[in-house]
Amino acid sequence: MKKKQSSDAEMTLFGNDGGEATLTITQLCDAVQQLLKSPTVTDKWVVGELIDFSVRNGHCYADLVEKDDEGKALAKIPFRVWNYKYDSLNNKFYAATNQQLGAGLKVRVRVKPSMHKLYGLSVIADDIDPNYTMGDMLRRRREIIERLNREGILNLNQQLLWPDIPTRIAVISSPLAAGYGDFLNQLFLNESHIRFDVKLYEAIMQGERACPTILAALEQIATDAHRWDAVVIIRGGGASLDLQCFDNYDLAAAIARFPLPVIVGIGHERDETVLDFVANRRVKTPTAAAEFFIKRGESLLNRLNTIGSALLQRATDIMAVEKEQLSYFEGVISVYPLNAVRHADSRLSNNISVLSTVASRRILPAIEKLNAMQSQIALAAGGAVVSCRERLNSSERLLYALSPQAVLSRGYSVTRCNGRIVTNATDLASGSRLTTQLASGEITSIVE
Amino acid sequence: MEVQTTNVKEISYREAVNELDIILREMQSDNCDIDKLSAMTRRATELIAECRNRLTATDEELRGILATLTTKA
Repeated sequence: MKKKQSSDAEMTLFGNDGGEATLTITQLCDAVQQLLKSPTVTDKWVVGELIDFSVRNGHCYADLVEKDDEGKALAKIPFRVWNYKYDSLNNKFYAATNQQLGAGLKVRVRVKPSMHKLYGLSVIADDIDPNYTMGDMLRRRREIIERLNREGILNLNQQLLWPDIPTRIAVISSPLAAGYGDFLNQLFLNESHIRFDVKLYEAIMQGERACPTILAALEQIATDAHRWDAVVIIRGGGASLDLQCFDNYDLAAAIARFPLPVIVGIGHERDETVLDFVANRRVKTPTAAAEFFIKRGESLLNRLNTIGSALLQRATDIMAVEKEQLSYFEGVISVYPLNAVRHADSRLSNNISVLSTVASRRILPAIEKLNAMQSQIALAAGGAVVSCRERLNSSERLLYALSPQAVLSRGYSVTRCNGRIVTNATDLASGSRLTTQLASGEITSIVE
Repeated sequence: MEVQTTNVKEISYREAVNELDIILREMQSDNCDIDKLSAMTRRATELIAECRNRLTATDEELRGILATLTTKA
């Protein structure tokens, strides 16, 4: 029924047209498709920027746009790569640029225009020239860097000083990413047991939304910048290595101006993005970022250990010196007092001998004087005795001459009566007994 | 020279060592006062004992402190 109505309508439409041929849309499209095989439009190299990029069932769907200097679209055409071509094209592109085809890329591709009766005009790519994109990326990167340099902010973040031991780290990454896990593992299983404080500020790490989400995360970190020592921007890793989104002026400027040192670990060795030029430090992998923090911590620990052992060494040295001195004291204290006594003793004996010498020196003349006096005394005494004796002798002689005995010797006698010396003969009565003492002997006689 | 009578526990290590030096110099000098010799010897012995005590205590303390240092590291 429906079919019938439709052909009725066609009949009506095509009916009154002066006999000129009437085409169906399909026919028209087919005709256009034929025209599109003209060498002037087919297998042509064209350049344009890919937008609204997606891959479904292995086919690539996007738009190819031509923009003016301000980025306004001047021309746009649907762009397709069919699945039998897409992998080889993408691989070729990846091999040269180290990134997958995606939105935002400027590409040079060889295309055939194609007219589809339902979907209209599009271009089908069968080859790509990665050098063009490379050149474009480089140029864009250079332009951004030049602009940052001109504005004097290119090296701002690189001039920031690191704290001695950065342990409080704000991480911008995708929470489920393997790279973030690697970073945490490396950081928290460090052999030196350095403790880190890490918080994840989530962002999307690829594609068009990478830039705004990273910028939002940075802004969030900036509001409590005092809590953090550093910012680490790491990629999730995995299949996609689309770095295009990071070559962005706003993002680069935000990182350059950021008040904390920023470490980026989003590319690989041979890739560079603008961020690598503005970040305080670039690392190849999330693991390397973690390693950087551990190394800094370890170097401080080593310094502390060095100071510690120097301290120990110094203290030990001081103690050794003091111990040695004390041992010396202990050694001499048992000797010195005895030495002092012995010393005093010897001084004493010395004094005694000096004393005796001094004393004898003083006494000798006195003794001599004494001795002299002694002999003088003997002499004088002797003389005195002799003269006395002589005087005695003469007295004796005188005494003898005067003695009764001497008188008797000369013939005198002494007559005693009753013991009394008789001097008067009248005193004597007859019969008196007289004793007459002669010089030698006595005679007794009786008075008549 | 007068023999100090302060408590050896109340003087510093450095002061104790200085005093020991003075006593020993006195003992070695020609003018050593024998009356004070035993007092000096007793004082010197006290000083040495005190110094040794402190040195040993300091040694142990040091070890203790450094042990905490190494366990923390």
